[in-house]
Amino acid sequence: MSEGHRAAYVAFDRFPSAKGSAVHIRHMAAELFDRYGGGLLCVLGGGGLPAYQREGGVEIVRFGAVVPNLLDRAEAFSAWVADRLAPHRDTLRLCHVRDPWGALPALSAGGRLVYEANGLPSIELPYAWPLAAPSTLAKIRDLEGECLRRAAAVVVPSQVIEAAVTSRGAAPERVHLVPNGADPVRPGLPRPPAAPGRYLIYVGALQPWQGVDVLLRAFARLADLTDLSLVVCSSVSPSRARPLRRLAERLGVEDRVTWQHTLPHDEVAAWLTHAELSVAPLTASPRNLDQGCSPIKVWESMAAGTAVVASDLPVIREVLGEHGRLVPPDRPAELARAIRVLLEYPEAARDLGRRARQHVEEGFTWKHARARLAAVYDRVEGH
Amino acid sequence: MTPCAVTTGFFTLGKCGQMAVAGCPACGRALCADHVADGGLCPECAAARNQFGHPAAAAAYRRRAHRHRTAQEYTDVGWYAGLDTYDRAPFDPGAGADQDYLDDGADALVDS
Repeated sequence: MSEGHRAAYVAFDRFPSAKGSAVHIRHMAAELFDRYGGGLLCVLGGGGLPAYQREGGVEIVRFGAVVPNLLDRAEAFSAWVADRLAPHRDTLRLCHVRDPWGALPALSAGGRLVYEANGLPSIELPYAWPLAAPSTLAKIRDLEGECLRRAAAVVVPSQVIEAAVTSRGAAPERVHLVPNGADPVRPGLPRPPAAPGRYLIYVGALQPWQGVDVLLRAFARLADLTDLSLVVCSSVSPSRARPLRRLAERLGVEDRVTWQHTLPHDEVAAWLTHAELSVAPLTASPRNLDQGCSPIKVWESMAAGTAVVASDLPVIREVLGEHGRLVPPDRPAELARAIRVLLEYPEAARDLGRRARQHVEEGFTWKHARARLAAVYDRVEGH
Repeated sequence: MTPCAVTTGFFTLGKCGQMAVAGCPACGRALCADHVADGGLCPECAAARNQFGHPAAAAAYRRRAHRHRTAQEYTDVGWYAGLDTYDRAPFDPGAGADQDYLDDGADALVDS
């Protein structure tokens, strides 16, 4: 190791990947590394990604150990991060983390801690691991609180999660709102060759709280619109879509649903641009209501100038405001009706898309997000 | 006989117990001839003054440093030790909500 890094970005996420989180990491880490002339990026590997890379001043190290149990893996990751950070102890000035597993080692690594809370494991874990005991989640909640309290700054993408982190003890004056964003899609993107004639689009992962099942049920109610297809651009692999495919078969819409999996980010933009409508059918689950998020699918649909139909949740209101059509969550009939109305009035839909795009261009591109993050770094350094 | 009050032992700690010949000028505890460290201090007081000439002083220093490190509420070691097998079992690969969940990494915990 030649000289110590001054900045480190730690994430318990695979990077790069097709997920929204990877887009987020790319922009946030770029801001950090531009500021400090490089740094150390500690992320998860696997999937054929190299364990070590050096890109100019940026050193990328990936955690590759195979640890089947999730908590064991988190523990091994923390220890691994602690080892990676140790050589930089004397030079490290700022550590940017996204989860408690990275925050733990970063807290004792020297340098100030910026905790970017996009989600809270104590809320999100039970969705994937339903057997987790409440006492276990309480321990994880304690850990989150500890990390949030000791961070020099906490960055949150929405007001909903801001409330969640302050309820865990983060000092309100140290919590900063940095909404996600999207870069405006350049006009004239060619239509994807596989695209059906007229289509609705869903972009994102397929966890139950995303509400793709609600969308499929709503789509089944639009059977009379025979020229209309549904495109699901899934950020996860085909095997995860199996239950939803079975649902589509049962609803009798499987012929009209096109599945695309783990498309590169720039191809998704083309799919979004040529869609009639983009749908974000998030459910009214604690994950969305208490924890919140800043759904990148909504930001990117807005940036593509495609009208958005989304669930009426506080987080969506924050992002979409009046630049999209809100419908009650978990109601296929309501969703189908809203879609039908917008398809009947294409001029109104286009207008909605245009205004949404303008809204993003005026204040919510990644450039704006990076500027807001830079202001947080300024404050952290000033103290 | 006054026994030497210095803590000794590697795994099972106890008092030295040999006949004391002096007292530590700093803390006043009784010291045997083997445990008189630099400047007539007991090993622990010597370690607190960064004097490691006596082998027992170095051990006392390491013990002290270890206690200091692990006394913080959440060190790595301390925190994860709080999660026992009962806490961990629900996170075994077969226990996920979706059996396919691991195929592209359960890393999608916090998906923006």
